[in-house]
Amino acid sequence: MHDLQLLGVICILGVTCYAMRAGGYVLAASMRDDSIAGRFLRLAPGNLFIAFIVGGCLSGGPAGLVGTVVALVTMAITAREWAALGAGFGAALAASTIGW
Amino acid sequence: MVAALPFLLSNGAAGLVMGLTYKGLGLGAAHAILFSLLVYSATAQAITLSMWASPLPIVAMVVACIATNSRYLLMGAHLRQLFGGLAPRKMLPTLFLLADASWLMTSSDADRNGPDAGYLLGSSIPMAVGWVGGTALAYAAPLAANGPLRLAAALLPTMFIATLLPSQWKNVRSPWPWLTSAVAALLVARFGDPRWSMLIGGGCGTLVSMMERSDA
Repeated sequence: MHDLQLLGVICILGVTCYAMRAGGYVLAASMRDDSIAGRFLRLAPGNLFIAFIVGGCLSGGPAGLVGTVVALVTMAITAREWAALGAGFGAALAASTIGW
Repeated sequence: MVAALPFLLSNGAAGLVMGLTYKGLGLGAAHAILFSLLVYSATAQAITLSMWASPLPIVAMVVACIATNSRYLLMGAHLRQLFGGLAPRKMLPTLFLLADASWLMTSSDADRNGPDAGYLLGSSIPMAVGWVGGTALAYAAPLAANGPLRLAAALLPTMFIATLLPSQWKNVRSPWPWLTSAVAALLVARFGDPRWSMLIGGGCGTLVSMMERSDA
């Protein structure tokens, strides 16, 4: 494959991805805060968090589920991110090692 | 930036795995690094990798990038609500580094401490450095994508977002929206396309939130 062609494809895909990142910000300028779309966007984050975590747990298998639950519980108890991530990753690694 | 430092590790591991895949495909270091820098999306890069052929199916790749990254439209529109008062010349360059996790962290921080565009930029930088640096490391060091590395790349982002849940729970009035999000995401991931589980699951839960609240 020609280097220049490959460079062109990378640039096209890069521009496409940036357009998706900036597009919502630019388009939302014409949206009112009290509109239905405005309310939707205000309420969306927590729900997206949950959907993101469920998707991640599924793709990570049982080890992913164990690690995420341990991280969540540790965070709720200690309120320390490093402790939660360390405990979660340790639990996932242990679960993975024993074949989960 | 400090809050997002764990992503230096997880994105670094994921970027390393991506770099090793590019290396296996025969891409040169400069092209692989440029890919991770300009496209900067694990899902878009993974799906375009799966479509790799000669000649490259450019239109199909662009459509795939739009489909997998459509969630960024929602995130960008939400960021406009938070940072609409800032000049576009300040926000638009920052959006180049927008990632799922930096948006999630910024939204959570805005709930706790109020909107802060600097937080978005600060949380995005370690993620981008990790991702691009990991890709570069795949070419610089004689490494293989082994078990713990793959595990860290796959699981740490989910675990990190899980650590944000306790602070989000304080704003929740009933469990139904979150349950709806979880069930819808589960169904989409299990029986449909996992790449859409976040958007569809989160969208369903948000609709339930809207039906429950009249003032939020």
